[in-house]
Amino acid sequence: MLKRVSLVLMAVAILATTAQAKTIMFASDCTWPPMEFMSEGKQCVGFAPDLVMAMAKAGGFTANIQNTAWDGIFAGLAAGKYDVIASSVSITEERKQAMDFSDPYFEVKQGVVVREDTGIKTEADLAGKAVGAQIGTTGFFAAQRIAGESAKSYDEVGLAIADLAAGRLDAVICDDAVAADYALTNPEYAKSLALGFMIVPDAPEYLGFAVQKGDAKTLETLNAALKAVKDSGEYDTIFNKWFGSN
Amino acid sequence: MAEKRQAKIDVTDGAAIPSAKDRGLLSAWWVSIIGALTAIALLSLSDNPAYFASLKFLFPDGIIVTFKVTVFSILLALLLGLVTGLGRISHNRAVNLVASTYVEVIRGIPLLVQLFYIYFALGHVFRNLPRMDEALEMFQHWPDFAAYGMAHICDFLKNMPPLVAAVTAMGFCYGAYMGEVFRAGIESIDKGQTEAARSLGFDRRQTMFLVVLPQAWRTILPPVGNEFIALLKDSSLVSILAVADILRRGREYASVSFNYFEAYTMVALVYLIITLLLSKGVSAMENRLNYYDHHN
Repeated sequence: MLKRVSLVLMAVAILATTAQAKTIMFASDCTWPPMEFMSEGKQCVGFAPDLVMAMAKAGGFTANIQNTAWDGIFAGLAAGKYDVIASSVSITEERKQAMDFSDPYFEVKQGVVVREDTGIKTEADLAGKAVGAQIGTTGFFAAQRIAGESAKSYDEVGLAIADLAAGRLDAVICDDAVAADYALTNPEYAKSLALGFMIVPDAPEYLGFAVQKGDAKTLETLNAALKAVKDSGEYDTIFNKWFGSN
Repeated sequence: MAEKRQAKIDVTDGAAIPSAKDRGLLSAWWVSIIGALTAIALLSLSDNPAYFASLKFLFPDGIIVTFKVTVFSILLALLLGLVTGLGRISHNRAVNLVASTYVEVIRGIPLLVQLFYIYFALGHVFRNLPRMDEALEMFQHWPDFAAYGMAHICDFLKNMPPLVAAVTAMGFCYGAYMGEVFRAGIESIDKGQTEAARSLGFDRRQTMFLVVLPQAWRTILPPVGNEFIALLKDSSLVSILAVADILRRGREYASVSFNYFEAYTMVALVYLIITLLLSKGVSAMENRLNYYDHHN
């Protein structure tokens, strides 16, 4: 009898360890279509969530994505509220001082969205114009470089786009994928907004998953999983799903 | 039937005004102001340069914008408040209903939602208004001045700058509160004053503007000062409209440098010092206004 009990206990213990596959908490600001955004079913969907889910499968961990406001997303990481930021975070030197990054998973440029009729085609055309972007993004850093003090920061890129459409801004700077989504495919704005031009970067800009400074273990898991997803061709499947095959 | 006894509590926003009689509060004021000023000075001079850097980021434009929003909003609120207060005690039923409904509706909607509504929801509607030249053509059958007026109104609404939108939203919200202040102030004046003025041959309007309002002003001013302080604090909400006030500047600094603790500590201290100074001013004003009450 005692033997049977101990056998059952052992079985339970083994099952528990396998079921106890590591859970990694991801934070995404789901206001950045098509990279990560809220679906009508109130799910965070987009390129990054799909990629994270594929990585979880390949890497044998459970991914839990929580929607987090952008302003403060880095503070939350530092405070240990989640393990990873998967929110189109560009890898920059300044950010590397405060956190560690996975291998790049996407390359972006900064796109400039303008109203259809304004004829803004170069950075020089933006002189003296009202330029806006989401607070704390590389798009806002570009806006500050171009417009200086008068660059306007918004909590969400969608609010900046709304102000652009309303005529309170002349240009909004954001990741090219997001810029294209608003200017070309968004049913609300595609008719009135256009993609003015791309800012030519000094060095290529990559997106990475951000983890707490010194969190080598999570970084290793992420990098291995990312590599597996890229090698298996699943990365390309997800890429084509969101950005077409061109 | 036994008359129901009702306990009545006057709910005011008086927390911001230290009463002159309250020695405890007075010393609390000194502790707060000296503490805040010392904290700012020590932190700015400390080894951590992030404190001074974040403070520098707030000056001067962040503070100017905060004051601009507050001052213009309170002016609009005073105007709306006077009209609303008079409307609330009006014997004209339609006017009374309009004023009361305004107060009821505005009081029932959070300020943050009002800001979003006026800026983004109405902004979306205004976007589809005709341009200046289109408007002029649209109204060409109207008399010249009316057509010009309409065209300019359309143009203004279409291109409403963020600061104006913020001031409009804050002004409309606080106008409702101010209306209640005005109403209470006017009603606090003894009926005898009105009766005396009327029997001396003043008409209704003369009674209100020459007899009642000048006396009511003394009751109204302290709560108005109080609302001014409350409005200054609430003006931090406009930072969501990309209006570069103190809070917005602090957030911009923090989002780049990741020095959240330093930036928000400085933002909090700057707000604290401003409101402490203002509340001192308001309580000084209250003392002056109470002068005659004490010496009668």
